[in-house]
Amino acid sequence: MSFWLTVFRQVGRNIRQTWASQLMTLLTVSLSVLIFAFFYLIYANMLTFGEKLGDDLSLIVYLEDEPGPELQLQLTKKITTFDEVEKIRFISRAEAYQRFARQLGQNQDVLNDMPKDFLPPSIEVVPLKNLRSLNQVKLFSAYLSRLPGTLKVQYGQDWVERFYYFTKLLSIIVLLSGTLLILTTIFMVAYTIRLTILGRQAELELLKLVGATNNYIRTPFLLEGLLQGIIGSSLGIVSLYALYEWIKLRFSGPGFLNLFEFSFFSPVVSITIICVSILLCTLGSYSTMQKFLRI
Amino acid sequence: MKTKSNNGLETMIELIKVSKEYPPDVVALKDLSLSIASGEMFFVIGMSGAGKTTLLKLLCSMEIPSSGLIEISGKPISQLKGHHLARLRQKIGVAYQDFKLLNDRTTAENVAISMEVSYKKPQIIKKRVRDLLEQLGLADKHDTITGELSRGEQQRVTLARAIANSPTMILVDEPTGNLDAVTTEMVMNLLNKCNKAGATVVIATHDDSIYRHTSHRVMELRKGRFHMMTGGIL
Repeated sequence: MSFWLTVFRQVGRNIRQTWASQLMTLLTVSLSVLIFAFFYLIYANMLTFGEKLGDDLSLIVYLEDEPGPELQLQLTKKITTFDEVEKIRFISRAEAYQRFARQLGQNQDVLNDMPKDFLPPSIEVVPLKNLRSLNQVKLFSAYLSRLPGTLKVQYGQDWVERFYYFTKLLSIIVLLSGTLLILTTIFMVAYTIRLTILGRQAELELLKLVGATNNYIRTPFLLEGLLQGIIGSSLGIVSLYALYEWIKLRFSGPGFLNLFEFSFFSPVVSITIICVSILLCTLGSYSTMQKFLRI
Repeated sequence: MKTKSNNGLETMIELIKVSKEYPPDVVALKDLSLSIASGEMFFVIGMSGAGKTTLLKLLCSMEIPSSGLIEISGKPISQLKGHHLARLRQKIGVAYQDFKLLNDRTTAENVAISMEVSYKKPQIIKKRVRDLLEQLGLADKHDTITGELSRGEQQRVTLARAIANSPTMILVDEPTGNLDAVTTEMVMNLLNKCNKAGATVVIATHDDSIYRHTSHRVMELRKGRFHMMTGGIL
């Protein structure tokens, strides 16, 4: 009989003998992967959304008076002293008025009675892409607000800050659920394998005495951990995909979710999550064998 | 390196001043030296606690001697590890006094286990198991769970498992302890057959009916020490 045939028979026997605990472990692994992958999916999508927001990020510096060409040069010099920027654009009162009128569209009649210079002049500063962490933007904003003649600097502070803290919170949840995934997979698999080993102590001792090699005894347990990892994590990812499809279908049409371009993991990320889970399960199985399998 | 015994045959088992002590101060074997030739049938007798079972456990490397040297086929058994030890154990068939049967498995599965670890083909295993069970009068117990067998039947299953893989050395501990006269003869016939086929057979027993008229060597142990040796015509 070939080595692998014998090993597969042993695995089948182990699973039959401890099917209840095997099932519990499988569900735990699936659930852990599902929880982790769920939060990671939201986090990854939020990061993509954040990047898109960052692409549109610009700081508007409102000025007291319209700067002349010389002052414009001086201001540009001052701004670039802090850091290189992607773009600096001076907007006059008239330009601001036209832009506002365009934004109002059909309702621009409301501006009829307003003077054409009621809006302050401003400078639109688009920072470089490498200057897009919240702290750097804050520092830049503070610097711009100290420029002579500045009234106010605006970049949607509240929104950006809330979004930043939300992604920060999500990253903590991802970290926690990742730890949960690691602990549950390693410990649950280790516990199940331990149960199998203890339940088959007499057989293992006999196998050793009739000349079974270490590989003959160990491989079925390693394979068991591997199977738990493959089936459990695949089940978790497939469940998440089903949930994702359901949500997409249920909430399609105009609504909040359509603000984001929500997408599922790429095949590479899905396979990576599965592979890491398999590795963790095998690790759990291996650590138990080292502890309890005296061969 | 393989050595030759006094009768010119190759030595299968060599013990030099072997002692085995269990904590705190139980001496199971003391300074035992012995050579058993390849293909020899050898009886170890003595009262309970004389050290018979300990000797067999040492020979199959189930226990490690406290001192002394044990060589099987010229290899120091206590130094063998992993793959080499497993290979050697595949060549040693042991019928334990406490049977060591898997009571939730069938008779056939229990006998097959020693051949499975050597990766024998399923057809060969099936045929060998049927043959052995027939020779031991257990043909009708092929699919019976061993936990449901009588002590005598379990003992025979243990023996069948020990010889199933055609080992070069067979160690049998009290093979007839639970058997009637007819079954005892059946068991001894099978062991003799294995011996004639070339296997070295070591039988530990206190049943004098199986060694009384034997021409083989009989060693008596007393309180873990060598007491006397009789017989010796191969």
